[in-house]
Amino acid sequence: MSWTIETENLGKRYGRVTAVEGLSLKVAEGEIYAFLGLNGAGKTTTIRMLLGMIRPTAGRATLLGQGVRLGSREPWARVGYLVETPHAYPELSVRENLEVSRRLHPGTERKAVDQVIERLALGAYADRKAGTLSLGNLQRLGLAKALLHAPRLLLLDEPANGLDPAGIVEIRGLLRELTSREGVTVFMSSHILAEVSRLAQRIGIIHAGRLLQESNLDELERNRRQRLLVRVRDPQAARAVLMAAGQPVGVSRDGTLELAGPAALERPDEIATRLVQAGVPPTQLVVEQEDLEEYFLRLVGEKGISQ
Amino acid sequence: MKGFADIVWIELRKVVRARVPYFTALGFLVMPFIAALLIFIYKDPELARRLGLLGAKANLVVGSADWPGYLTLMTEFTALGGFFFFCIAISWIFGREFTDGTLKDLLAVPVPRHAIVLAKFLVAALWCLALILETYAAGLALGALIRLPGGSAAVILGGTGRLLAAAGLSILLVTPFAFLASLGRGTLLPLGIAILTLILGNLATTLGWGDYYPWAVPALMVQGASPAPFSYGLVLLTGMAGLAGTAAWWRYADQNR
Repeated sequence: MSWTIETENLGKRYGRVTAVEGLSLKVAEGEIYAFLGLNGAGKTTTIRMLLGMIRPTAGRATLLGQGVRLGSREPWARVGYLVETPHAYPELSVRENLEVSRRLHPGTERKAVDQVIERLALGAYADRKAGTLSLGNLQRLGLAKALLHAPRLLLLDEPANGLDPAGIVEIRGLLRELTSREGVTVFMSSHILAEVSRLAQRIGIIHAGRLLQESNLDELERNRRQRLLVRVRDPQAARAVLMAAGQPVGVSRDGTLELAGPAALERPDEIATRLVQAGVPPTQLVVEQEDLEEYFLRLVGEKGISQ
Repeated sequence: MKGFADIVWIELRKVVRARVPYFTALGFLVMPFIAALLIFIYKDPELARRLGLLGAKANLVVGSADWPGYLTLMTEFTALGGFFFFCIAISWIFGREFTDGTLKDLLAVPVPRHAIVLAKFLVAALWCLALILETYAAGLALGALIRLPGGSAAVILGGTGRLLAAAGLSILLVTPFAFLASLGRGTLLPLGIAILTLILGNLATTLGWGDYYPWAVPALMVQGASPAPFSYGLVLLTGMAGLAGTAAWWRYADQNR
């Protein structure tokens, strides 16, 4: 299988500081791959290495079948990107900024500028100077520059940055359309798991420069912790009943009982029956799945500390 | 070639739309006004006496209150002031990509980075040339206005030639400041070093080492001190080193901005 992105043991050190280490990942054609990590985890350094802006101190990267070299001309005609905060020439209009991008990609037709303005809903701002745009519209302009020359691969660093909720939904739809209809591959970084889990087929989690986990959405679902939450009028009595029945129980500050054992999760009705029989009936009983942010932070905390 | 023309178009558009070039054009216009004022004062000793120090300074600087003297004065000002204004131009063209955060959009593109650097140098040279032409046109108009004697086609042409030669040398000498703008990721470092360069140039000339200090050569030339032939070689070498250093830096250095 040929991979659109392939890195092998990619690493970058600045003196004694390790920004990225031993990064090996593969992204298939037409896939949306989310690269998740906290601020400073190494996401942007990785994207800059993939774009030939930073020379790796170890390993190598291949994009669209071509090895990435610092300052090389290939394969950038087929790659669109947005790195960190979007910037544009403030004295030029939105249209002129896009014209600059068009001329930096020889062979891109003149009409591509109008098309991308329409696609990113920038029509109302087309003749406005970029220096007067809001962060959200600057982000749209950044995305428009990335898409202008109809690339086969998109490398997007925090693409939802600065967008309002409607804008986020719109961009999500646009990226989905690009991958499903046009077979474009998207590699996007983010620090919000909930956001990327709605879009990405695979998610790589990076922390302190190392890839902690790579999983598809199903694996992610399986890995997330579940717990049974039980509210009763007398938590201590209920806890004693359940402990006596061999169920490990935690009690939260607000008196909610938390059960994480497989028996409790698979048969919550038995827990309810037992409590009713003991005279401490539940007032509320719910199986709750660990939310994505909790999962992400747990993973980063556990594996980050164990390193 | 079409690709390179596109890159030059981009750089020109950025310059034409920005405010900085117009500020430099306005600032550089001060040069012919000062030259014309000094000559005007020199022409009228009574006024020069009443002005005290300025009058004394005018007597020191001005050789003769005629077209040849006026053109020499303008050329001296252009050589000195031109260097600093050219530094502003080239530092802005390169440094603004860092301060505006736009550099990253020039790096992973199917256009060689050296073509972008070359286009920037070309547009910087055009900017400097436009400043010279503007100042020179204003200078000629002011010279005519104060009715200077001794003007002829040969005198004007000779003066123009010397002024363009001085400007050419100054343009060559500012290429290392493009490298400094890239290295310092902005305009502060090159402009700071430019001031230091001018101070050191004065010192080198005073100590008699001007021939060996490239940035002193244009001033020596316009003052008629006839720098040694190798001095011109040094200027050329400095210009080439600035070009090559900047291109190499754009090509090989890690770009984190």
